[in-house]
Amino acid sequence: MELTFYGEDNKGILKFDPRTKFLLFIASGLMSLSSYSDSGAAVYTVVLLAVYALCGKPLSALKSALIFGAVMYLRAVLQNSQGAPPMIVLLVTALTTVFMFGFPSVLSIVILVRTTRISHFLSAFQAMHLPIRMIVPFAVFFRFLPTVAEEWNGVRKAMAFRGMTLSPAEVIRHPLRTVEYVLIPMLFSSMAVMEELAAASMARGMDADTKRSSYEEVRLKAADYVLIVLVFGMTVFAFIMGYSVKGGMNV
Amino acid sequence: MIRFDSVSFHYGGERGTGEGVDNIDLTIKDGEAVVLCGASGCGKTTLTRLLNGLAPHFYEGELEGSVWINDLCVSSAELSETSRYVGSVFQNPKSQFFNIDTTGELVFGCENQGLSREKIKERLVRTEKDMKLTNLMGRNIFELSGGEKQQIACGSVYTADPVVFVLDEPSSNLDRKAINRLHDMLKKIKADGKTIIFSEHRLYYLMDIADRFVYLDDGMIADIFSPAELSGMSDDELAGKGLRCTDITRLKKSSGKAVSANSTVPAVETVDLSCTKGGEQILDIERLRLPANGIIAVIGDNGSGKSTLTEALCGVSAADGNIALNGVYLNEKERAAKSFMVMQDVNRQLFSESVIEEVVLNSSADRTKAENILDKLGLKNVMKRHPSSLSGGQKQRVAIASALCAGKEIIFYDEPTSGLDRGGMERFGELLGDMSEDMTSVIITHDPELILKCCTHVLHIENGRVLGFYPLDDEGVQRVKWYFLSDSEENTSKRRKKQGTIGRILGYAGDKKKYVFCAMALMIAGAFCSAVPYLGIYSLLGKLFGGENITLAGSVSEIGIVLISGILYALTYTSGLQLSHRAAYHTLENIRISLQEKLDMQPIGNIHDMGIGAVKKLFNEDVESVEVMLAHVIPEGASNIFVGLVILLIYIGVDWQMALFSVVILLFGFGASRQMYDVGMDRMGTYFASSKRLNNSIIEYVAGMEAVRIFNRSAESGERFEGAVYNYRDFGLAWYKVCWPWMSLYGSLFANITLYSMPLGALLVILGHITLSRYILALCLSFALGPLLVHALALIGTLPRVNYKIQSLEKALDTHPLKCGSDTFTGKDHTIRFDNVRFAYRGDEVLKGVSFTAKEGEMTALVGESGSGKSTIARLIAHYYDTNTGTISIGGQNIDSMPLGCLGNEVSYVSQELFLFNKSIMDNIRVGRPGASDDEVKAAAKKAGCDDFINELENGYDTVAGASGNKLSGGQKQRIAFARVLLKDAPIVVLDEATAFIDPDNEKKMNDAIEEITRNKTVIVIAHKMSSIAKADKIIVMDNGRIAAQGTHDILYRECSEYRKLWNADKISSCWSLKGSEKNASYGA
Repeated sequence: MELTFYGEDNKGILKFDPRTKFLLFIASGLMSLSSYSDSGAAVYTVVLLAVYALCGKPLSALKSALIFGAVMYLRAVLQNSQGAPPMIVLLVTALTTVFMFGFPSVLSIVILVRTTRISHFLSAFQAMHLPIRMIVPFAVFFRFLPTVAEEWNGVRKAMAFRGMTLSPAEVIRHPLRTVEYVLIPMLFSSMAVMEELAAASMARGMDADTKRSSYEEVRLKAADYVLIVLVFGMTVFAFIMGYSVKGGMNV
Repeated sequence: MIRFDSVSFHYGGERGTGEGVDNIDLTIKDGEAVVLCGASGCGKTTLTRLLNGLAPHFYEGELEGSVWINDLCVSSAELSETSRYVGSVFQNPKSQFFNIDTTGELVFGCENQGLSREKIKERLVRTEKDMKLTNLMGRNIFELSGGEKQQIACGSVYTADPVVFVLDEPSSNLDRKAINRLHDMLKKIKADGKTIIFSEHRLYYLMDIADRFVYLDDGMIADIFSPAELSGMSDDELAGKGLRCTDITRLKKSSGKAVSANSTVPAVETVDLSCTKGGEQILDIERLRLPANGIIAVIGDNGSGKSTLTEALCGVSAADGNIALNGVYLNEKERAAKSFMVMQDVNRQLFSESVIEEVVLNSSADRTKAENILDKLGLKNVMKRHPSSLSGGQKQRVAIASALCAGKEIIFYDEPTSGLDRGGMERFGELLGDMSEDMTSVIITHDPELILKCCTHVLHIENGRVLGFYPLDDEGVQRVKWYFLSDSEENTSKRRKKQGTIGRILGYAGDKKKYVFCAMALMIAGAFCSAVPYLGIYSLLGKLFGGENITLAGSVSEIGIVLISGILYALTYTSGLQLSHRAAYHTLENIRISLQEKLDMQPIGNIHDMGIGAVKKLFNEDVESVEVMLAHVIPEGASNIFVGLVILLIYIGVDWQMALFSVVILLFGFGASRQMYDVGMDRMGTYFASSKRLNNSIIEYVAGMEAVRIFNRSAESGERFEGAVYNYRDFGLAWYKVCWPWMSLYGSLFANITLYSMPLGALLVILGHITLSRYILALCLSFALGPLLVHALALIGTLPRVNYKIQSLEKALDTHPLKCGSDTFTGKDHTIRFDNVRFAYRGDEVLKGVSFTAKEGEMTALVGESGSGKSTIARLIAHYYDTNTGTISIGGQNIDSMPLGCLGNEVSYVSQELFLFNKSIMDNIRVGRPGASDDEVKAAAKKAGCDDFINELENGYDTVAGASGNKLSGGQKQRIAFARVLLKDAPIVVLDEATAFIDPDNEKKMNDAIEEITRNKTVIVIAHKMSSIAKADKIIVMDNGRIAAQGTHDILYRECSEYRKLWNADKISSCWSLKGSEKNASYGA
């Protein structure tokens, strides 16, 4: 089974602290809200793409860059085209604008998820002094994603032997019954796993009251500081510029 | 020290499972290993829970008395406190880990204890080393097998370094390999002086670890046994206590029904079954028939494809090939309707609120029939209960009952007896036996006791192939037992590479990778150049429509551009091709060399198994496919796609409406090509299987020509050949049939983009949206676009085939190389010693514990019927294979510890098959010692009695022997082999049937030669002619892989009936062969 929803960072040239990547996401959000210039968004996106590439995903970064570039090109072509129906130009311009300003936020989430190992994530939470009661549900959630996938696979097969199909027609005709057939075995089976998992964790000293240590080292390094200063610098710059433009418009 | 102080515990909370324990008084010393055993529900799991504090802190209930570890009262201490002293491993590998990566899991306990990072790191390193977990570090736990997960669980506890290890049925979900690994880990833990408490059904693997067995019955300690006492118990005594066997070797087949395989229609029949997942072939089964009404055990290591096979058979997994159930070929849905699988996690298949509803769900059976079935399975009293409230065994029977109600004919079981005690296992076996009247059962199992209890046949799967399918008669029992007793070789599974085809091939290119990239850059430039002429044409046409007069002089620049770009295209393209070919052929060289190195390290047997055809195909065709990839697909395909995209962008710039329309057309085209890739990839396995079969049958056809003609079997052999040819044709056609529609679809879409966008453009021009010249430019661009994409996709179309070949390339030699050390020979003399050597060939044990000594300077003879293992012994001395267990040593040094070259200096092995190189006779003899002078060669030849016949040849010693030496008779070749041995003069001589070619004419010469080469040597000789070995210092009589007797001729003749039989039979046959010697000689030639 391919588990694509887990990130990994072993090919990364730079390994940023998960907290830095988290800040990156916040900065991207602010940027999208405050910047009104195409070039500003483009420069910021390029920085993000560079970060993505440095974190060990150069091919994915290249792919994202090509997509971004193509959309920007399309936007430019359309804005300069003559004779095209204005409705379509307006529609495509609106869509590409949403894309252009949404892209950094989405990209920074992708960076966060795809280049961070789960254990690194949890250690970062711990380093942020989040209470263990908040971290454990996260950990269990991540832990259960593949289990649910496995269970689903098993239930699907079991249903085939009992003559229950998951064909669209069947699902539409008996939606409740289908849900029941899928959910009941999955719940019972997951419950058994859950209980055993709880027992195993307790027996191995997982306890809400003890202070845990962490094997994964999470520490802000020089690269982290540089990146934080860079992206927030840009955001602040865009913020000020955005206001001055707006101010100009108001006058 | 652990102390149970009159402990009673009964579950009370909602998590109450199990029956509880009463009045437990038990003291366990430090460093002791204690096994808690007894039937299910006897309270052994409860005891482990009392020890790790889960009872009463997690599983609530009433507790009396107290449990102490040293001076910690576990019963009252916090769980987190207890966890510092007690480490626990649980039954179910899938539910006891908390993290997703293995490293995180290993340090989990330490983190919970709040240890410092340095300390944890130190412990992690130690765990990795002690527990041999290197291959498992830093991996995703979800991709590990159950056994590997259990290893991680053990390792995790080991890292936390508790004083007491508590294991609750750790082996119940494990296969043979995993149990062996677990056993090794536990031994190491015990050697570290830790206290270990097991609760376990399987006892055999603990016999050499445990110090005491505490037998529980109904929640009380009924008895305590020492390992010796327990292993002294008979099977009936164990059965009376509900205990499983203590020694697999003593298992016997229970006297169940006789094998009834006489049914004419097999329950399952498959032809050319293959299954590919994620580009990797998992199943490859030519033909398989499972008898009706049989109880068939499917054995094999984890990951060998057992589950995939059964799922394919019962139609829930997609697979290629034809599958018939009860004589009728069915598709997947029909198979799922006719068969049933009882899954290992039976919770997944219970859908209803009560047992009776569950059983009649979606079945045609009425309630009375359902009740009858439930009654038969002993479930009538729980009919109204919720399935999830039942015990594991009961749930399993509910699932079986639902299958019976639905009228299924074949039931598959996935490890049905994992975690069952003896009683449960036996009841299950009996149930299968009762049902076999009108039902075929197929069981995936790792439980030898179940197999011997009830199965009729065994299907052994390895690497997605059928290694053996045999009835469980006496010999079958031996084979099954051997499988479960044999050691696993590797410690952990290999890391799976997550790499696409292109990445993999670029990896092969190594430092030639830069050539590939340069070629790619050049080809991109070339592709641009190929598009430029269209711009020139546009410019010309633009002038035309602009109303200018086109003169030759006026259009020089355009024509120039077209010409120059044409030349540039030719230049860049050819130099790109040149570069990429250079890279490709260098890579081929590297691959072939590395293949050859790998082949050199393979046991000879593996190479024989592959067959000459396969090896040849590997070195020639499969390797060649890399060339296609590196020289064409990667650089050309990439550049074509890249430039195509750029042109598309320009196209959009010129006119986005036409471009958009073209993109829609292109998307359809890409969809079609994607579809072709998918269907092509799925069928690839079958297609190549039939091509392989064709290859092999051509070789067999040619190689067997002689025998075929002599015995007039040409019709039969021709039929097989024909069959293979037809088969290949059919699969080839089938493959093209599914691919062609898609190929032609995308071909026509891409090639004719212009055709589709022309009318739209014309419309736009008429409406005045675009100018005529832009229209023409757009058309030109779409002209340029089509060929590029068609070219690129044609190359992409070859990807599945190339990918398949490269995989087979990687898989082919992915077996274990021969174990060879790097020591020189340091043995003190040349005494050969076999120490309890076991050796199996293709899952069939050929040597079953052979021990003997062949003293230096003596002649040791091996006699016995053919197939008794004589030649195997000879080959093992020459290190053609590795032994499975036991050692072979020369002068006290294990032969595994030296490289083959060193061993070769000590041992001369003359095999039954003699091979002469196509060189002069002189050089052929010189093979024995490459540095020998011509005179030395001649002297050796004289001693071996070759001199006479060599001088009679046309060119004497310079006569070329001819391919495989067909100019010489068998006896002559044999003597040349003797000459080699004489020249080599190694202290150990192994002669395998050296006298096979003796006839009256050359008998004296042969015997003289043998005399000559065995003088003052340690000699092992295998002979059919008993008279020739009568004077050997020691004679070893082999019988069916075992040594029946050893001694001198006189003693053996007196005392060993086997030997007398062989001797007398030989006497009779030698009389007979003298009379027919004329005929014999001609056959020998």
